[in-house]
Amino acid sequence: MKRTSLESGLLIGCLSLFFIVLGVTSLTGSLVQDWFKLSSPILGGWLLLFLMTFWGGTLAFKKSPSKSWSETLRTGLSVGLVAGIMLALTIWGLGTLNAQAVPIREWLVQLTPAAIAMLTMGRAPVVAALLMFVVMLLAGIGGAAWAYAALHYQWRSVLNTRWLSARESVINMSLVQKYQQHQYSKQIAYGVGALVLLTAPLYLGRYWNYTLGTVGLYVILGLGLNVVVGMAGLLDLGYVAFFAIGSYTMALLTAPQPHDIVMSFWLALPIGVLLAACAGVLLGIPVLRMRGDYLAIVTLGFGEIIRILSKSDVLTDFSGGPRGVRAVGGPMLFGLNLNNEFYFMYFIILGIIIVAYATHQLQRSRVGRAWMAIREDEDVAEAMGINTLKYKLLAFAMGSGFAGFSGALFASRNKFTGPEDFTLLVSINVLSLVIIGGMGSIPGVIVGALVLKGLPEMLRQLDDYRMLAFGGLLVIMMILRPEGLIPSSRRKMELHDDESEALVPDVLVEGGEV
Amino acid sequence: MDRSEAQSRPKRYIDFGRWIRLGIGVIVVGFLLFRLWNVLWIERAYGLDTWTRFAVSGIILGSVYAVVALGYTLVYGILFMINFAHGDVMMLGAFAGYFTLEALKSIGFLNRSVGTSVLSVIIAFSVGMLFSMLIAVLLERIAYRPLRTAPRLVPLISAIGSSLFLQNMAQLAFGAERHTYANPDMIQRNSGWMVMIQGKEVLITYTGVLTLVISFLLMVGLFLLVQKTKMGKAMRAVAQDKETAALMGIDVDQVISNTFAISGLLAGAAGVMWGLHMGILYHYVGFIPGMKAFTAAVLGGIGNIPGAMLGGLTLGILEAVGPAILGIPFQLKDVLAFSILVLVLIFRPTGILGEVLSKERA
Repeated sequence: MKRTSLESGLLIGCLSLFFIVLGVTSLTGSLVQDWFKLSSPILGGWLLLFLMTFWGGTLAFKKSPSKSWSETLRTGLSVGLVAGIMLALTIWGLGTLNAQAVPIREWLVQLTPAAIAMLTMGRAPVVAALLMFVVMLLAGIGGAAWAYAALHYQWRSVLNTRWLSARESVINMSLVQKYQQHQYSKQIAYGVGALVLLTAPLYLGRYWNYTLGTVGLYVILGLGLNVVVGMAGLLDLGYVAFFAIGSYTMALLTAPQPHDIVMSFWLALPIGVLLAACAGVLLGIPVLRMRGDYLAIVTLGFGEIIRILSKSDVLTDFSGGPRGVRAVGGPMLFGLNLNNEFYFMYFIILGIIIVAYATHQLQRSRVGRAWMAIREDEDVAEAMGINTLKYKLLAFAMGSGFAGFSGALFASRNKFTGPEDFTLLVSINVLSLVIIGGMGSIPGVIVGALVLKGLPEMLRQLDDYRMLAFGGLLVIMMILRPEGLIPSSRRKMELHDDESEALVPDVLVEGGEV
Repeated sequence: MDRSEAQSRPKRYIDFGRWIRLGIGVIVVGFLLFRLWNVLWIERAYGLDTWTRFAVSGIILGSVYAVVALGYTLVYGILFMINFAHGDVMMLGAFAGYFTLEALKSIGFLNRSVGTSVLSVIIAFSVGMLFSMLIAVLLERIAYRPLRTAPRLVPLISAIGSSLFLQNMAQLAFGAERHTYANPDMIQRNSGWMVMIQGKEVLITYTGVLTLVISFLLMVGLFLLVQKTKMGKAMRAVAQDKETAALMGIDVDQVISNTFAISGLLAGAAGVMWGLHMGILYHYVGFIPGMKAFTAAVLGGIGNIPGAMLGGLTLGILEAVGPAILGIPFQLKDVLAFSILVLVLIFRPTGILGEVLSKERA
C-alpha cells in the first residue's frame, strides 16, 4: 500500500466526516428524495459518501506512479480501507450514542436522530457500520478502476472529437452559414435578445419578476463594484454603505414619515446617486492613499459604521432607526403609477443596460486604461504621469454612484428600507459575484449575479449552505482560477503571465512580488 | 543663457489631502478636549467608582484584544497579509473550550473540588488552543500557501472567503443560537473581589483577573519565544527577507507554518478567555473582536509585537471610557472603535510605535 493513497483515503474520510457534521449528507439525501420521489433519504446520503470515496479512488490512482492493474486494485483498496474504517467507526459511534438516547443534537445541531437514522439505515449500528465499510471498499476500488478505464479508453478525447464534429456540422449547415454571412446578422441577434428582455417581465409572473429584479439590482451593484475592484484594483469591503446611502436618500425624500418631504421619484433618484457619489469622494480623499489591504479594512469599518448608526437609537428621529422607513414613494409617469414589480423590472433592465454601456465605454477609454495601469502597479502608473489619486477617486465615485442608483431603486421597489437590508453580507455577496464572475469583465458580473443570486433563489433548501459555499468558492477560485468564470482577456493574461516567464529562474526576476 | 529661466515655472500642486487631514485633525482634537473638560468639570455625571469600573473593564477587554492582535501582527509581519479569518479562528477556539467544559461538566468533573476545577480550566485552555492551532495551520496550508506568489489582492480575497467559510461552518455545525459558557462554580462570571471606592462597591471579577494574568503570561511567553529561541530568530529572519533566509538554510514554509501555529494558539487562548469572561458564544462572535484586534494591531504599529500589546490595551480603555467622554450612547462603542481605526490610518498609518516591516515594503 502506498503512502499517498493512504493519505488520499484519510483526506476523503475527513471530508466525509466534515460533510456529515455539517449536514451535507442529510441535505443531499432530502434533495435526492425530492427529485426522484423516493420513500426515504437514505439513498442520497449514502450516494454522496459513495461518490466521495469513488472520487478518492480516482484521485489516488492518478497520483500513483505506476498504472498497472495490480496498482489500481491496491490504490483503490487502500483508499476504500481508510475511508471505510473512518466512516464505519463514525456510524457505529453515532448509532450507539443515538440508541442510548444521548442528545448529540445539543452539541452538533445537524446530527439529529433522523440524520443518524439515515446514516445507519435504521439498522443496528454494527450492521450499518459493516455495510458502510464494504460499500466504501467497493467505492474505492470502483474509483480506481474507473480512472484506469478512463486512462485506457480515452473517453475524454473521444467525446471531445464528437463534440467538435457536431459543432462543425452545425456551423457548416447552409442555414447557419447564410445567417452568418447576412449583412445584419449581429443586429438581428441583438434584436432578438432585446425582444426577449423586453417581453420577459410580461410572462414572468409576480414572484419571478420580484426575484429576478433583485438579481438585476445585484447586477447593477456588481457592475459598480467591478469598476472599483475589477478595473481600478481597490478592494472595497464597505460597498453596502453607498447602497444604503442611495436607499435612505430615496426613502427619506419620498416617504411621508419621518420628514414629510414627499418628493417625486424622478428628482430623488439623481439626488440619491449624487449623494452616494459624494460620500464615495469624501471617504476616498483621506483613505485612498493607503495600501490596498488597509483600504479593505477601512472601507469595511465604514460600512459597519453606517449600519450601526442606521440601526442605533441616535438617528431614530432622522432616519427611522431600527424600524426603518415605510411607504417609500414610487415612480409616476404621465399620471400613471408605475409602482409594481412588473414596471420595476423594466427600470432595472434599463438601468443595467445604461450602467453596462457606461462601464464598457469607460473601460476602453483613457480613463479605463489609467485604472488598469493603477491596478497593475501604482508607482509605475504615477511615473507614467497618471494622477493616481484623481483616477482612484473617480473610480470610487463612479462605483459609489452606481451603488446609490441601485439602492434608490431597491428602496422604491420594496416601498421600505431599514438597517437590516444593509449588512456586511451584501458587500460580501457583491464582492463574491464580481470575483467569481471575473474581475473587470462585464459579462462575468452578469453571469456571476445570475449564478450566485439566482440559483439560491431557485433552490431554497440550499439557503443555509449559501454563504458556506460562497466562502469555499472564493478560496477555490483564488487558487484555481483567479481570473473568474468569464474573465476579461487582459486580466487572464496578467494572472497567467508567470507561466510564460517560467523559463527564467526565480532568483533572476528582480522586484517580482514575493 | 541660464537654462532654468528658459523653462516655464513649475506648476504648484496644492495637496488638498493634507489640508483636509489637518482640518479633520483640528476638529477631532478640539471636540475631544471640549468634551473632556465638559464631562470632568461641568457635568460630573460619573463618580470615581464609575470611572474605575470603566477602566477595569477596558483593561480586561484590552488584554484580550492584545492577545488577538498579536496573531494579526505576527502573520502580517511575515506575509504582509491581513489574516482576515483570525477572528474566526478565535471563535472556533472558544467553541472547542466550550465543548470541553460542557463535557467535563456532564461527567461531573468540573465542580468536584478546587483541584478538578483548576484542572478543567487548564484542559479547556489546552483544547481550545490546540484546536485553534490546528485550524490556523490548515488554513495556511489550504488557503494561503498556494497563493504566496500571487498579486496582493488574491490572498486577501482568499482570506475573506476563509473567514466566511469558518463562520458559516460554525453556524451549521453548532447552531445559530447563543451558547452560554459553563464556568466552574469558583469562577462564576458575577463573582469576584469587592473594592470600595468612595463608599461604593466596585466588582473585580475572578474571570477578569484570570484573563489579565493569562494574557500577560502569553505576551511574555511570545516575546521570549520571538527574541530568545532559535525558532524566533528564524521567524525574524523570514520576516526581514524570505530569499536570503532561504539561502541561509531556513525552511521558509515551515517557519510560516509555525507562525500560523503560534497565532492560532494565541487566538485559541483568547477565545477561551473571551468565553469565560463574556460568557456568550455564537458563530459571529469572532468578527467584531477580530476587527477590533486588527484595529489594535494597526494602532500600535502593525508587525510590531510590543505595539500590538500597547494598541490592544489602548483600544480597550478608549472603548470603555470613550462613550462616557464623548457623551454618546454605549450602543455606539463599535462605531468608536472603527472611527479610531480610520483616524489612525489617516493620520499615523504606521501606528504609535511604528511599523516593523522588511525592506520590501519600507
